[in-house]
Amino acid sequence: MSWGIGRVCRGEDVYINSGQSRGLLIPILILVGIGIVMVYSSTAIMSIRDNGSGFHYLWKHLFTVCIGTAVMMFLSKTDYQKLRPMVYVLLGLSLVLLLLVFLPGIGISANGARRWLRLWPTTFQPSELVKVVMVIFLADYMDRNIHRMKDFRYGILIPVGTMLLFQLILLSQPDFGAVMSLGILTVGLLVLGGARLIHIGALMLFALPAVYLLIMTSAYRAKRFICFLDPWKEPFDCGFQLVQSFIAFGNGRFLGLGLGGSKQKLYFLPEVHTDFIFSIIGEELGLAGALFVLGVFVWVFVKGIQVSTKTRDPYSYFLTIGLTMLIGVQAIINFAVSTGLMPTKGLPLPFISYGGSALLVNMAAAGMLINISLKNENTSCSRTSPDFVTGGNRHGLLRGGRGSSGRYIRR
Amino acid sequence: MRRRKIERVEMRKLWDEDPVRIPLQKSRKRALVLVTVILFCFAVIGWRLIDLMILDHDKLTDRASQQYIREKTIAPQRGIIWDRKMRQMAANIESDSLYAVPSKIEDTRTLTKKLARLTKISSKKFNMDLLKKKNKDFIWIDRKMDLETVREIRKLLDKMGYDSVGFIPESKRFYPKGRTASHILGFTNIDNKGISGLELKYNTYLKGKARYVSVGTDARGNRLSSNIKEGFSGNNLVLTIDEGIQYIVEKELDNAMDESKAKAAVAIMMDPMTGEILAMANRPTYDPNTAGKFRDYMRRNRAITDLYEPGSTLKTILAAAALEEGVVDLNDEFDVSDGFIVVGGKRIRDTHKNKILTFQEVIQRSSNVGAVYVGMRLGGENYYRYIKKFGFGRKTGIDYPGEVKGILRKPENWSGTSLAALSIGQEIGVTPLQLLRAYAAIANGGALMKPYIVSDIISSSGSIVKRVSPELSGRVISSRTAKKVTDILKTVVEEGGTATRAYIDGNLVAGKTGTAQIYDQKTKRYSRDRFVGSFVGFVPADHPKIALIVVIYEPRGVSYGGVVAAPVFKKIIEQTFAYLDVPMERDENRIVLVNRFR
Repeated sequence: MSWGIGRVCRGEDVYINSGQSRGLLIPILILVGIGIVMVYSSTAIMSIRDNGSGFHYLWKHLFTVCIGTAVMMFLSKTDYQKLRPMVYVLLGLSLVLLLLVFLPGIGISANGARRWLRLWPTTFQPSELVKVVMVIFLADYMDRNIHRMKDFRYGILIPVGTMLLFQLILLSQPDFGAVMSLGILTVGLLVLGGARLIHIGALMLFALPAVYLLIMTSAYRAKRFICFLDPWKEPFDCGFQLVQSFIAFGNGRFLGLGLGGSKQKLYFLPEVHTDFIFSIIGEELGLAGALFVLGVFVWVFVKGIQVSTKTRDPYSYFLTIGLTMLIGVQAIINFAVSTGLMPTKGLPLPFISYGGSALLVNMAAAGMLINISLKNENTSCSRTSPDFVTGGNRHGLLRGGRGSSGRYIRR
Repeated sequence: MRRRKIERVEMRKLWDEDPVRIPLQKSRKRALVLVTVILFCFAVIGWRLIDLMILDHDKLTDRASQQYIREKTIAPQRGIIWDRKMRQMAANIESDSLYAVPSKIEDTRTLTKKLARLTKISSKKFNMDLLKKKNKDFIWIDRKMDLETVREIRKLLDKMGYDSVGFIPESKRFYPKGRTASHILGFTNIDNKGISGLELKYNTYLKGKARYVSVGTDARGNRLSSNIKEGFSGNNLVLTIDEGIQYIVEKELDNAMDESKAKAAVAIMMDPMTGEILAMANRPTYDPNTAGKFRDYMRRNRAITDLYEPGSTLKTILAAAALEEGVVDLNDEFDVSDGFIVVGGKRIRDTHKNKILTFQEVIQRSSNVGAVYVGMRLGGENYYRYIKKFGFGRKTGIDYPGEVKGILRKPENWSGTSLAALSIGQEIGVTPLQLLRAYAAIANGGALMKPYIVSDIISSSGSIVKRVSPELSGRVISSRTAKKVTDILKTVVEEGGTATRAYIDGNLVAGKTGTAQIYDQKTKRYSRDRFVGSFVGFVPADHPKIALIVVIYEPRGVSYGGVVAAPVFKKIIEQTFAYLDVPMERDENRIVLVNRFR
């Protein structure tokens, strides 16, 4: 393990990292650790009953954590700028993967949704990949078009069009959690990218009736929405999950029932180890535990924003904020869903929930963030290559073409 | 350090000159807003957590325990009631009850429409009930239904494939003898709780204890923990009642009701030595198996809960008191040739004119005028004391709910006519049981016994929980006096007495008739056409086995106790003696009678 302490810049100036990246790594490791414990706690009994061994889910989760850690390690040491030229490849790849889900034999459906790809020995959920790829794409796109973002065509039409393309596919899976987080991320980044607020406002104005229609045209969704508004009305029907989640939180009180003490995980609350793991955290660790987890996410978020302020080029800046928001927004949506502030969507809690693809992708995002923080740590590094801010970038901007970004850091 | 500072300034300059810097500057402002919004969202979630986990804690955990713990109570078997020969008077049978799971029913309207026809419940009300309890997991639709309805509904459910409606077998109280002894037994409600009669009085013994099981389960119903409180079946009762005698009594009451077209009738039979109630019957009656279908007046046990004026039957108490006090002798003579006497401005008449009667004849012929003379000799205070001693004006203490103590005014509250009225059995309210007990005291030589119906309480395992033995309430008169009174009462059924119709071949009957006018509450005077005819006595007179009272309320036509009640008395006694195999006291009597009827 060498993140946190290590080479920052090449050349003669080698600084011992003063802790900037550790500031990101520690909370993420805490979250992953909590995740391991809570996944085991929430699945042990279920796993004994259904799989014969209490460790069924734990092993799988640990396996993903190992791969995720490897990915995070790799990305934190790989120059994030190297990913940039691959952005369209990644975009194309995720599009293909998303569509592959619909191919019988390769795609797997569960609970009435087709979201997974068969990938021995496990499965993969392309929608998770899409989110991070979209962030990279937008960062790259907005960097290149930074002076044209006020333009409706460049500021809205192209990025939103790309988003809609993915959203349409995600909708037909269906995966509303992904649609929602993708939408929030994109709009958020566009706001930061300099798109005119009036354009964004108009976009929202169009989006609202679309969302309304989306909910109301399907009886199932409408019912779900109504149950979200008052879950106690139908506590055994569509309000069941939410009511059970509330009960889990209520059981927790200040210090919780103790680790492993959850009653709600005994099949009362569905999806305890994935979408509703936060409820079990609340039940077993109480308000203290829940607020701690919340706090760690705030910590990650604030650190991420801090990193973004240190970046020296728009691409890094947008990428950092995008990745930070990716983690933050997903966490908020998950929290909001399990506490009944948002209608139910299938969205895992980053770093904590069981679920390979999300964990993997989020750890990859964390790895990239760490790398950005390392690379942008010290202004002193720039001394050896002052043109990394000026020359290359300016050139790139003036030319307006792509590929210029690769030369930001010339060593 | 200094070098680095210069570098920084240099760097800043380069950065500031960067054209990207301008849009980025704006972006950072926007980022600040965005970051604030996101942090605000985190704060909202934090508040929501406090709201759910602390403020809603009680409500939610309450709700939680509802779903973790499944409670079940298994109703106990109610105790069985046996007669004195261990014949079942009340038992339990399995009966089907119909339940519904409202939360699972989708189309309540068709279901209720179909079921309403079979269960005879209004479909509209039924539908409303189901809708109102939509979130409930269990409700009863109809309980302990008859076999025919159950079969019809089963057929319907099979055809329609409803799984939200079904049957659960429940233990239902069953009275195998139907109307027989219904007033003694009482009945239970749908939850097997005693509502009246012995079922009510002994409910705590009979009900047993439910087996309570609470199981902590997960959502799939897997058992995690369990808490069992063992229950037990109810205790069984053994009655002093003899079903055979009870049947005889009820049959004869039915006949009497038919003949006299009376409004009501009561008969109680008692063992005069012990106070055991052998039979107790009322008309009108009801079937405890379907008690709900009968009106209240049919279910009332008049023998214990209703008062009447005893009329002439109270003269026996007067005689006993007078003899015990020594104010009269059997052969003292009373001139009743006037046929009436005026006391306190009120005229008391005899029904038949007599000339001069001995004390014995006063009772035998039930002369009112004679009785008033006796009463005057005895004096109010004395008479009151004896009435009281004989158990009037207070509860007998029988183990039956709803007993009344009767009406007996103290001498200081008496009017000028009170003594005379009491002498002929007016201005006093008694229950048939009180009167019977008083006669039983004369029969057994002066011991006032406490009447009782339940002799043993036996646990379901067979051990005796409680055994009741005869209890003396007090001695009232000496055995010598009792013997004298018995001798007088024997003459009542003989030639010249008022109750020759109660004469029984082979056995001496000691008894007394009574014909009391009913005091009309509306007109505040004694009714001219509404009477209570009664006969109370014991047999065999010198070795009494049975004391019996027959009260016929408001018979149509002739209403003398000697006419309406005495024959009933006779028939009951005759059959009961045959049933009990009581030998005849006087064998020679048979020969005499044979001769006479020739």
